[in-house]
Amino acid sequence: MWIYLAKRTSLAVVIVIIAISLLYSMILMVPGDPTAVILGPRSTPEMRDALRADMGLDRPAIVQVGSFILKVFQGDMGTDVFTNRPVSQIVFEQLPYTMILIFAGISWAIVLGIPLGCYSALNRNSFIDKLTGIFSVGTIAIPAFVIALYGLLLFAVQLQWLPAIGAGEEGDLVDQIKHLILPAFAIGLGWVGYLSRLVRASMLEVLGENHIRTARAFGLPEKLIVFRYALKLAILPTVALMGVGVGYLLSSSVFAEIVFARPGIGKLIYESVLTRNYPIIMGSVLITTIIFVLCTMMADIINAILDPRMRENL
Amino acid sequence: MFNKTNASEHPLNRRNFLKMSAAVAAAGICPILQPGVLWAAEGGILKIRDYSDIKSLDPSFFLSVPEENINACIYNKLIAFKPGRKWEWELQAAKSIQQVDPTHIAFELREGIMHSGGFGEMTAEDVKYSFERIADPANKSPNIDDWGPLEKVEVTGKYTGTIVFKSPFQPVWWTTLPYTTGNIISMKATEKVGGKYSTDPPSFNGPYMLKEWKPNQRTVLTRNPVWKGPKSYFDEIRIFPIDDEKTAEIALESGDVDFTRLSIPSLKNYTKTPPKGAKTEKFPSLYWLWMGMNQDNEVLKDKRIRKAVQMALDRKTIVEAAYFGFAEVANGNVPAGLLGHRKKTTLPDKPDYEGAKKLLTEAGYPNGLDLTLEVLNKSTFNTIAQVIQAVLSPAGIRVQINIHDSGAFWVLGSEKDSDRWKSIQLIVGRFSGVPDPSYYTRWHLSSQVGIWNWERFSNDEYDKLDKIALGETDQEKRAAMYVRMQELLEESGCVTFITNEVIPVAYRDDIKPAFRPDGTPLLRNFSKI
Repeated sequence: MWIYLAKRTSLAVVIVIIAISLLYSMILMVPGDPTAVILGPRSTPEMRDALRADMGLDRPAIVQVGSFILKVFQGDMGTDVFTNRPVSQIVFEQLPYTMILIFAGISWAIVLGIPLGCYSALNRNSFIDKLTGIFSVGTIAIPAFVIALYGLLLFAVQLQWLPAIGAGEEGDLVDQIKHLILPAFAIGLGWVGYLSRLVRASMLEVLGENHIRTARAFGLPEKLIVFRYALKLAILPTVALMGVGVGYLLSSSVFAEIVFARPGIGKLIYESVLTRNYPIIMGSVLITTIIFVLCTMMADIINAILDPRMRENL
Repeated sequence: MFNKTNASEHPLNRRNFLKMSAAVAAAGICPILQPGVLWAAEGGILKIRDYSDIKSLDPSFFLSVPEENINACIYNKLIAFKPGRKWEWELQAAKSIQQVDPTHIAFELREGIMHSGGFGEMTAEDVKYSFERIADPANKSPNIDDWGPLEKVEVTGKYTGTIVFKSPFQPVWWTTLPYTTGNIISMKATEKVGGKYSTDPPSFNGPYMLKEWKPNQRTVLTRNPVWKGPKSYFDEIRIFPIDDEKTAEIALESGDVDFTRLSIPSLKNYTKTPPKGAKTEKFPSLYWLWMGMNQDNEVLKDKRIRKAVQMALDRKTIVEAAYFGFAEVANGNVPAGLLGHRKKTTLPDKPDYEGAKKLLTEAGYPNGLDLTLEVLNKSTFNTIAQVIQAVLSPAGIRVQINIHDSGAFWVLGSEKDSDRWKSIQLIVGRFSGVPDPSYYTRWHLSSQVGIWNWERFSNDEYDKLDKIALGETDQEKRAAMYVRMQELLEESGCVTFITNEVIPVAYRDDIKPAFRPDGTPLLRNFSKI
């Protein structure tokens, strides 16, 4: 297991370095001058030159990428060109909002999606199974921003039950939860469908396997068979999906944070791209890449714990 | 006596100015430090949506309007824009101010305006420091042009001083003193933090102070305890940076914000069905939108082709399509309500396709010609580009649209950045403005060719008029010069004026807002009904 962990961690570090190098190169390939966007139409060429030099954009691309990675290993993600604040400070201010949103979104999707999948599998072809199927496909098919907008119109504008924008008052947990409900609902709804379909399919496959038939032959209670023997195996693809799902939810959080005017790393990246604020883009993308790689690594490790055969596959 | 209600239309010449300043000071029209001026009821929280987050609250490094919306609450200026539908200013930190000659402006500060944080009273030294640091090239302020030919600010007493220019500079009354680079900051406080700051001002002297800035979330202003002037209505102002117009409109309808700017399509919808519990208003904007033609381009160097394009351009259809009938067709770049506004055009009311074809034939293009049009990747500009493509087609002018993001677009005509300027043909341009005509005409000076003058228009008379008009104190003469400059631009075929746009806003119906004539909110003047 330790060898597996070491191999997996090394691979994760390599993935992060490759991802960052690729992303940095892509940013540099985008046409146009970031200093023109940052300083605005009133800037003179001399001002733009000075800022270009300050940002290190007058150096060759390979030097810029190398310098960025080297600085990151020294714990320095650079400085925001507008406010002169450390990028790490700005990114870590925003990160908790996004992580809470992702956690809330995925949590309610798990709480609803997995039991729905189990129920459907155990009651195959029943009315509820068919209804769940329609509901699942529907939630997968509807774009999350449509859900967000209709949620806002219904719950914030018409009924005025929930707030439309922001993340709530600091120190007021109830207010923060109120502000979290709609965005978490919007980004998590599609996942309810995904999870219920996946768990249903896995459960049906596992319930048909020999060891389940043997357990039934031994007269074990059905609840014990389902929850102790079948679900443990049926959940494996779901755990793997969760790892990738965090990446998907990170991108979903961009629209959620824009539509709900919530602070967060998605909104930070979006605005930084618009203003070509390279240090913030790189710092934010670095952190989200690390989070994504860590999540997929954790999913692999959990899978390896649940199913020792997986350890052989790296 | 000078009629203050017509400040923007009447000459700010020396004689009138002296009369006005004396009258204002004597009558105490702007009672900034008269504690008796109070609202009938006050308190509560005002929630405002602005389109972007702040980047710097240092007036020297001002980058966008949302920053000035806050600066106007936390600092004072010698003079400030007066709320209303006409461009006027009123005394703010100044007890009196007068143009003693074309290059000297004498001012006297009101006593008792305090800087927070124990940095003492506002003095003429603060005024000198605030203005000179922006005008000093060593400080690399992107707003250096606002102070034009400023030479120095002479301090003549604790509260008195003289602003000295190297040459006459009339825009100072409209683009500088009452706007963001006219904000006065504490010299002691700023020097204590190294002479520069961004989102953490070391001291405040306006009715509000910065309580909290949560990046991407909100900026909170609270009452400044050392402010001795008339109380603003609200105890707290919360400003939410919301980029998305739709989200802002939903926030207004749900009561999460009290004020927001609207998108033009939403104005159309709200005109039919007003938002619940809210009102809408529209204001003429200070933006100007035009279609430019690069006269140094191989095809467009023939003036007959440029004139043919102008003749075929159906400006009314463009404005109708892009602004849903809410904006007006412009005949110049200087908006209505400002000195130098041009009311008439020499272009035909309706497109003259036959005339355009004739000119093209004379220029050697009997079968029409192909042109490219460069636009920014915003939906309004895309619509405009598509309509231009459609309206030029009957004249045999086939247009290919090239859409660019802001980083690529804003350097298209820059000689220093690339040779791309040579291949530019048609451009849809849009600049923001401030309430002085010089700001609109300066971009097409010969000195701007290859920088912001992408049409590469160059005209000696135009350049000469610009210099004279900057220092002309007779406002009628000054206005005539700017009108002539706009005529020259249009006559060259390089620029076809399209519109000055419109700014729609919406606010909760229990709010009594205060706006500049272009719809920019003056937050310290907001109150409740």
